[in-house]
Amino acid sequence: MSEYIVRHTDVFMLWVGALCTLGLYSMLYKENRIYRLFEHLFLGLSTGYLVAQQWVDVLQPKWWKPMWEEGRWHFIFIVIFGSFYYFIFSRKGSWIARIVIGFFLGVASGQAFQLFANDTWPQIPSSFKPLIPHPAHTVMVDGKETLIKELTNSGALNNGIFMITVFCVMMYFFFSFEQKGLFVKGSAKLGRWLMMFTFGAIFGATIMARLALLIDRMDFLLNEFGPKAFGSAQMMFAILLAMMGLVLYLALVKDKKTPEEGEA
Amino acid sequence: MHILRILQTVDRRVLYVLLMLSVTLPFFLTVRLPMRVSPATQALYDRIENLAPDDFVLLAIDWSAGTRGENGPQTEALITHLMRKKCRFAMLAFEPQSPTLCQAIAERLGKEYGSIEGVNWINWGYRVDAKNFLKGFVQDIPAVIKTTNRQEDVTNLNKFPIMKGIKTASDIKLLINIAPSNIYQTYVQFVAGAKKVPMAVAPTSVMVPEVFNYLDSGQIIGMMPGLPGAGEYESLLGTNTKVTRFANSASFAHILIILFIVLGNVAMLLERRQNARAGGAA
Repeated sequence: MSEYIVRHTDVFMLWVGALCTLGLYSMLYKENRIYRLFEHLFLGLSTGYLVAQQWVDVLQPKWWKPMWEEGRWHFIFIVIFGSFYYFIFSRKGSWIARIVIGFFLGVASGQAFQLFANDTWPQIPSSFKPLIPHPAHTVMVDGKETLIKELTNSGALNNGIFMITVFCVMMYFFFSFEQKGLFVKGSAKLGRWLMMFTFGAIFGATIMARLALLIDRMDFLLNEFGPKAFGSAQMMFAILLAMMGLVLYLALVKDKKTPEEGEA
Repeated sequence: MHILRILQTVDRRVLYVLLMLSVTLPFFLTVRLPMRVSPATQALYDRIENLAPDDFVLLAIDWSAGTRGENGPQTEALITHLMRKKCRFAMLAFEPQSPTLCQAIAERLGKEYGSIEGVNWINWGYRVDAKNFLKGFVQDIPAVIKTTNRQEDVTNLNKFPIMKGIKTASDIKLLINIAPSNIYQTYVQFVAGAKKVPMAVAPTSVMVPEVFNYLDSGQIIGMMPGLPGAGEYESLLGTNTKVTRFANSASFAHILIILFIVLGNVAMLLERRQNARAGGAA
């Protein structure tokens, strides 16, 4: 039996992949036990994979082997220090947990400075943009010739929109005085609208990302699984169409006759 | 039921079926919708195109099977380009599944382009604690990396000639992060920002709006935005694999979604107007 599985691993994997995909997409009809089964299967698999990989790729080669085989006995202190965390469950010994938590808080705070310097800070000067169109030219900076790129009319317009957006959004988040008066209130309101546009763009991008995942699974079913399991992508497409027809029948005919609980 | 009411109360499962059809039908169509390459994708392509053979590129692969639909085609397009240009590249992951998934892609493309593991490319595998790891990594790459994904010693230059001359972050000519998360910020902080290594990002579509900040400020030199970006990149490479087909399906699905948003809203507005008139007449 095991030899048979080894010889047909590829086909076996494709079937498992297809059944898992269809099982999870059965949620689109409605919450059901098949979906729950595959959901738990995925959760268990990914957790098990993670635990095994942490040991195989991280703990065994980077900690266990050096400590046990290469004589770096001091690596044992990592476990002792790390296990201090568990004192958080003890009323008397909770102060011990604070030592290790404090250590990591200190490390994280130090890294936050570097985060600001390399991540956020460069974005502040880059938000000061030229607004008047100009041709490419050179200027002397600290005794060196520096090229200033051309700014076209459309580029200047882009920069103008950027500056207005930065100003209005900052005005919206300015809470040091009451926002009243046409200029302050108007720009804050415009800032809110501009943020709404941004959230809309992010939401649109999210839909695009989710669609990409759906397309990948459909490609798997039609072009990877279909030809191996049923001989052609067209055959798999016909099976998918039949499934879609069944979903439509269940949704439009059967569910209408038996309204769900809670519906009057 | 009135048509305006029907349009506002379409069963969600009918929409799902239509969406499935809009995604699957383009697989069988020969029609290809036109594709315009965005400046961000073009900038990334140009940067790789201008690399010399044997230049060393770090592919920071931080994706899992959950986002294979977007990050998979991005990885394929980038590896294809690097192998064509004969650049050396290493893959490093802070995501457990990524080394296995990308190893398969690199092995498959390596056979196609005659690129050899250990000579032209290497998989450094999975590591934990990105921030502290990268702080050491930028100063002494072989000492911090130590082993490949198969636990083989990377300092063995006979087996891994790709590692010749690779000491610090300044030996990396380009860093590309392929990820569905904000781990690119960690690379910006500790590698690109701290050591001035040119960096590009291949994020999923969800991440694209926030990555534009980094592109605009010059902290990254280019971007491959999600699946459409992978399609754009393929059109630049002149390859016509499944990514082009994917982009076609995405376009049809977007048209369907936009159509239903417009129809639903127009129906709602018309019904409101009808109700107002009826109310006024009464």
